[in-house]
Amino acid sequence: MSLLTIVIKNLRHRPTRSLLTVVGISVGIAAVVALTGLARGFQTSWEDSYRARGTDLIVARVTSRDPLPTAFSAKIGDTLRALPGVTAAGGVLADLMSIEESPTILIGGWETNTFLWTHLRLDQGRLPADEHERVIMLGAIAAEVLKKKVGDTAQIDTERFIVCGIYTSDALSENGAIVMPLGSLQDLTSRDGMVNFVNMKLDPALGPEGVRQLRETIGRTLPGFQSFDASQVSQANIAVQISKAMSLGTSLIAVAVGAVGVMNTMLMSVFERMHEIGVLLAIGWRRRRIVTMILLESMLLSLIGGVTGIAMGLASLRVLEWTPILRGRIEPDASPLVLLIALVVSVALGMLGGLYPAWVGARMSPSTGLRHE
Amino acid sequence: MAAAQSPLVDARNLTRTFDNGAVTALRGVSFAVAEGDFVSIMGPSGCGKSSLLNLIGALDTPTSGEIRFAGQDLREVRDLSRFRAQTIGFVFQSYHLLPTLTALENVQVPMLETSLGRAARRARAVHLLHAVGLEHRCHHLPAKLSGGERQRVAIARSLANNPKVLLADEPTGNLDSVSSQAVLDLLTEIHRERGMTIITVTHDTGVAGAARRTIRMLDGQIVADSAHAPAGGR
Repeated sequence: MSLLTIVIKNLRHRPTRSLLTVVGISVGIAAVVALTGLARGFQTSWEDSYRARGTDLIVARVTSRDPLPTAFSAKIGDTLRALPGVTAAGGVLADLMSIEESPTILIGGWETNTFLWTHLRLDQGRLPADEHERVIMLGAIAAEVLKKKVGDTAQIDTERFIVCGIYTSDALSENGAIVMPLGSLQDLTSRDGMVNFVNMKLDPALGPEGVRQLRETIGRTLPGFQSFDASQVSQANIAVQISKAMSLGTSLIAVAVGAVGVMNTMLMSVFERMHEIGVLLAIGWRRRRIVTMILLESMLLSLIGGVTGIAMGLASLRVLEWTPILRGRIEPDASPLVLLIALVVSVALGMLGGLYPAWVGARMSPSTGLRHE
Repeated sequence: MAAAQSPLVDARNLTRTFDNGAVTALRGVSFAVAEGDFVSIMGPSGCGKSSLLNLIGALDTPTSGEIRFAGQDLREVRDLSRFRAQTIGFVFQSYHLLPTLTALENVQVPMLETSLGRAARRARAVHLLHAVGLEHRCHHLPAKLSGGERQRVAIARSLANNPKVLLADEPTGNLDSVSSQAVLDLLTEIHRERGMTIITVTHDTGVAGAARRTIRMLDGQIVADSAHAPAGGR
């Protein structure tokens, strides 16, 4: 028999209370895992869409605080194309629109005859023929959600478009999106000659220093514009920032509720066991051992809650991934680091929740404890 | 009085008050207990017997006066938990076994404060349960044991760290006559065979009769202190 035997038996002695505490912690940790996974997935989905296109740099207006940057003249693309080291550039106009009965969907207007289209794997149909053709291409998931096939029409805002092709991309967010020629989206949204982003491919021979110099040049020659790589553009995105802040805030609340739950359970447990603790002190246990016992109990509860919470969080991410609102838009990303942090948080939660009860238990005099029957 | 040249326990002018002096449990109690003695403390409820036992066992501190244990003033002992673990064995009226642990595990609890390894702790607990006649009840929870068996487990636990003195607070107070006699026989045997110093608080004249010396208390004071031949003879 060891101290751990006593700890485990103490927890098993009051199974309902222990179970409820574990459930409380699990829900908190599951919320942390799910929210963090969603926020990371949101960011990763943005990054993936750029990486899938082979975009090395993205240029956008720096003043923009909208989820989608403020539109600017597509002629900026010509300026960028002319810079040394830039091998290709393509303008992108993006918008979030509701299509028929479906939830809001990301629509991209891509400049035709640019590298932007080359990464798409055509499952059915064809690419748009020209910049103003009234056609759309659907990502594989978008086609499934909208229940459309090649040749069907789709009502977008006030106009009908023919589905000319269905594609698959390496980026999940693109698979859940709609792409059309840039000119068509400009016409539809009355933003003639405008884009939100210019995607650029660079000469691989530039190297990191060359890229740095190019970005400085862009900053100088195009005041008010800034260049980003894929991860920077997602981090700078206000929607990504809000989602991360919300996930952090909600996670902290969930964790705080969990800590209060553990403390409540352990305090009740200590108050109920004043007599038992008095006996342990009387037969020679040191206060340090009493503290260790109570902390081990709370940390073990939290650890079990943490592990089940992680499992619940991962399961809920899987479920969320398949809900209509998220399907094809975000691939939840619960990285091992997030899971490790969740586990550490759960144990820290136990430690935090157990400290005060442990102090209450250990400061008691043995004779006081023995008087509690 | 069983005066000894170097008493194991030497209580001098002990007073203990509670509630800021509103209640006085002990009023200037002095007595000494020699090593190997078997002392019973008797008196009516509320006379201060248990308060005195708590002070001797370092569970409580006196309001004034001093207790010396083997010549050392308890006020100078920095780690009273360690002192209790190494020196004192407690037997309580209500056994005070941990309800979640088996008899074997309960006996091992005090040994967690020693350097004994897991196997050694277990072996010693088995040996002690055998010594109190409960080797067949090792894996039973306290709830599955009779009162007499629980008290015998508690006595085995009190001997776990081979203490210098065994303090028993009404050890037969919750037992029927048969179980009381069994516990009394066990205490007598421990005293006789191990030379263990035993101080017991009791209302039970049988227990007092088994002791070599009886201290009688009234209203927080010792009113009689008499040595006598134990009923069982030695």
